[in-house]
Amino acid sequence: MTEIPFDLIALQVLTGLALGCIYVLVATGLTLIFGLLNIVNFAHGAFYAAGAYLGVFAFTYTGNFWLSLVAVPFGMALIGLPTERFLLRPVYGRDPSYPLLLTFGLGYVIVELIRIAFGTDGIPFNAPAALKGSLFFGDIAFPRYRLFVMAFTAALLAGLWFLIEKTSFGLIIRAGARNPEIVSVLGVDTSRVWMLIFALGTAVAGVAGFLAAPMRGVIPEMGVTVLIEAFVITVVGGMGSLPGAVIAGLSMGVVVSLTSYFAADYSNVVMFAIMAAVLLVRPQGLLGRPEFAR
Amino acid sequence: MKSTAVATPSMWERMDPRRLMGGVSQHRVLASAAVLAVLPLLVPYPALAINVLIYGLFAAGFNLVFGYTGLLSLGHAALFGTGAYGCGIAIAVLGLPWYAAILVGLVFSTVSAALIGGLAIRTRGVYFGMVTLALAQCLYFLFYQWVSVTGGESGLRGVMVPSIDIGPIHLDLFDPVQKYYFLLAFVVLALMAFSRILDSPFGAVIEGIRENENRARASGYNVWFLKWMSFVLSGLFCGLAGALNAIHLGVVSIDSLFYTTSGTVVMMVLLGGMGTFFGPFVGAAAFLSLEDITANWTSHWQLIAGLVFIACVRFFPRGIWGSILARLRA
Amino acid sequence: MMEEPIIRAEGISRRFGGFVALREVSLSFRSGELASIIGPNGAGKSTLFNILSGSLAPTDGRILFEGNDVTGLPQHRFVHAGISKSFQITNVFPQLSVHENVRVAAQAMVAGKNFWSRRSRLIETDETARALLVEVGLEGVARRRAGELAHGQQRALEIAMAMACEPRLLLLDEPTAGMSPEETKDMVQLIEGLARSRTVILVEHKMKMVLGISQRVIVLHHGELLADGTPDQIRNDANVKRVYLGQGRH
Repeated sequence: MTEIPFDLIALQVLTGLALGCIYVLVATGLTLIFGLLNIVNFAHGAFYAAGAYLGVFAFTYTGNFWLSLVAVPFGMALIGLPTERFLLRPVYGRDPSYPLLLTFGLGYVIVELIRIAFGTDGIPFNAPAALKGSLFFGDIAFPRYRLFVMAFTAALLAGLWFLIEKTSFGLIIRAGARNPEIVSVLGVDTSRVWMLIFALGTAVAGVAGFLAAPMRGVIPEMGVTVLIEAFVITVVGGMGSLPGAVIAGLSMGVVVSLTSYFAADYSNVVMFAIMAAVLLVRPQGLLGRPEFAR
Repeated sequence: MKSTAVATPSMWERMDPRRLMGGVSQHRVLASAAVLAVLPLLVPYPALAINVLIYGLFAAGFNLVFGYTGLLSLGHAALFGTGAYGCGIAIAVLGLPWYAAILVGLVFSTVSAALIGGLAIRTRGVYFGMVTLALAQCLYFLFYQWVSVTGGESGLRGVMVPSIDIGPIHLDLFDPVQKYYFLLAFVVLALMAFSRILDSPFGAVIEGIRENENRARASGYNVWFLKWMSFVLSGLFCGLAGALNAIHLGVVSIDSLFYTTSGTVVMMVLLGGMGTFFGPFVGAAAFLSLEDITANWTSHWQLIAGLVFIACVRFFPRGIWGSILARLRA
Repeated sequence: MMEEPIIRAEGISRRFGGFVALREVSLSFRSGELASIIGPNGAGKSTLFNILSGSLAPTDGRILFEGNDVTGLPQHRFVHAGISKSFQITNVFPQLSVHENVRVAAQAMVAGKNFWSRRSRLIETDETARALLVEVGLEGVARRRAGELAHGQQRALEIAMAMACEPRLLLLDEPTAGMSPEETKDMVQLIEGLARSRTVILVEHKMKMVLGISQRVIVLHHGELLADGTPDQIRNDANVKRVYLGQGRH
């Protein structure tokens, strides 16, 4: 067997980590919404696609990547707020399959609206000039954009961690996740908290879509694959666990990236094989709470 | 001796819709067969009737898991699609006769159901939906990449069954009406089996599991096994629908395994009425008619489908047939 | 010679993460006994109940039912062995009729050979269900949906369902919780009737009812066995008075 050059493996691992960052962001939004609202948002993939298109649209107008990157989360929050208020809030307290089905239907609508507005073909989108090219570590060339995605994701996660663990809003989130009744007794308007959380999850999904645009392309159906990938990651990482989503997302990115290098035929299914193994051995996932398993 | 005459129902009572419904549900297979037998006369063209037949059966199979057992599967495309591919591969690649091909399709779909169900039932609630969706997508990729046998992206072509000869009967499948009645025979057989399953103690228990899983467990049932059994049986019905669809179309499209196919069957059952015997066929007919009508004035069917679906879940969760039943019971 | 106890717990412990809910509890119950397990909130009585009824496996220790080790078996195997339970929170099939509720429970025992036969031909199951409804006084509402029944009736239905698998050991989790005094009186009568031909273990916190109905009372405190004796012995037990009766009226 020929020896595999170290720098190629290193590059593949880095590519995987950048891909993993996208997974982590999508899964984080999903887990945030699930943890607090107890809703699995099946429109999450569509929000991811919408974020990418929103960013590309903003970019064609402003010509500024950074401005677009700031515009995406706000624009997406504006979609998320009414979704929670008018679509989901009326079905709280009913069977959990109601919000699931509603968001599933919403996903159809959003994807079709994207097709109507931007056409069915993909839109090419490149990384901004400042992030083109590579950085060299010794002999190994790392694409700048992927490094940026990793740094940006780390910063975003740190921000989220700070928000949840260190602020009074975060305290409400954590208390609300455990016992919504107590929080409302304390005089906090829980419905507003829930709306903000849903918008936050939507915004994170949108940012992930825009960040992924230069790496994975922009097509209306881009959310379908990523939604399913995010599901796999939440199942593997553990139901409702943010650290689980981070660990599973990053490792899944690396595994997929290495598989596509060594055994390209299996890169699409390797994730599902891992998920199947986790379900057999530890149905609640790596860091999950056991009540979601049998 | 005093008269012990049991009151014979008056004409008026016999016309009472509730009594009528009681009779209909007692002979539900017969009633379905009768309506389906005249369906080609009621719709604008036979292809629509054939689709109602096939998707109605698919929806009925899905209803066993969703409506009766209470498991929201979002991966039923895998059962329909593998049934179609199994049958298609048997005809187009292996050159088997149609009846053997249908069996191959059933084997494919039942094995898929056993595997997907076996894994997904280890999780609960909404996670069941996520896992079924993911595993179905995994099958989609596998069939997509297995180009040498499945034709990959362009689909499997050449699933030709031009005619059927059973003893003296000769059916020309190029004639859509003859094809319709050929397929109807399978659907009626499947409905007989379906009705029989619902009538068995098994049928009662899966409804119990839907209502209250812990209670069923405390009553001494192996809930995991029963859910799995329901999923596998569902695989038989959905796989048959897929196999019939392969024979009907002559090709198997990779889209039959795509998640939108799972979405379609969920919509049909919700539109018709989950957990009801006739609901899936009513839902399939309504969904396909709507699609047919919309196609005349817009190419954005997915938008309409999504909106109708949202409206249905939000304001009309019992579905068409479910609402009729509820009104009659009230 | 000592009679073999119907159920015996040997050194049962149960931990949840770092929290010890039960610590090395050993107990046995004679066949035909009507016993109660009591204790303040967090004493571990629900944990013990769940372990004895098979819905929870102990972290350490063994459960012997009629001399057979049943530790760690899944719930449905406990039921088939002859142990049945009712839930603390009302737990019925709300959309099914009262009769169907009991029939589904009863047919669990014929499952296997008759599982795919026509339901309507299982006359035996049907009659078992009818007889049970008479026993708990629900024959008049057999055709109503279970979800429509009054609270007390739903609890009675639950008992009928627990009885449907002909258990030799019946475990009842706070059977009178949330009941009016009138309903409680009916339930106590029902339980006394049931206890004539089988072993019944209650988990309760209504002290007065427990002392009135039971032949034997077991008191748990902080996951450990505090006292075990006749109602009279319990009433006069200094430890029990200190941790339980003294805390307020029950």
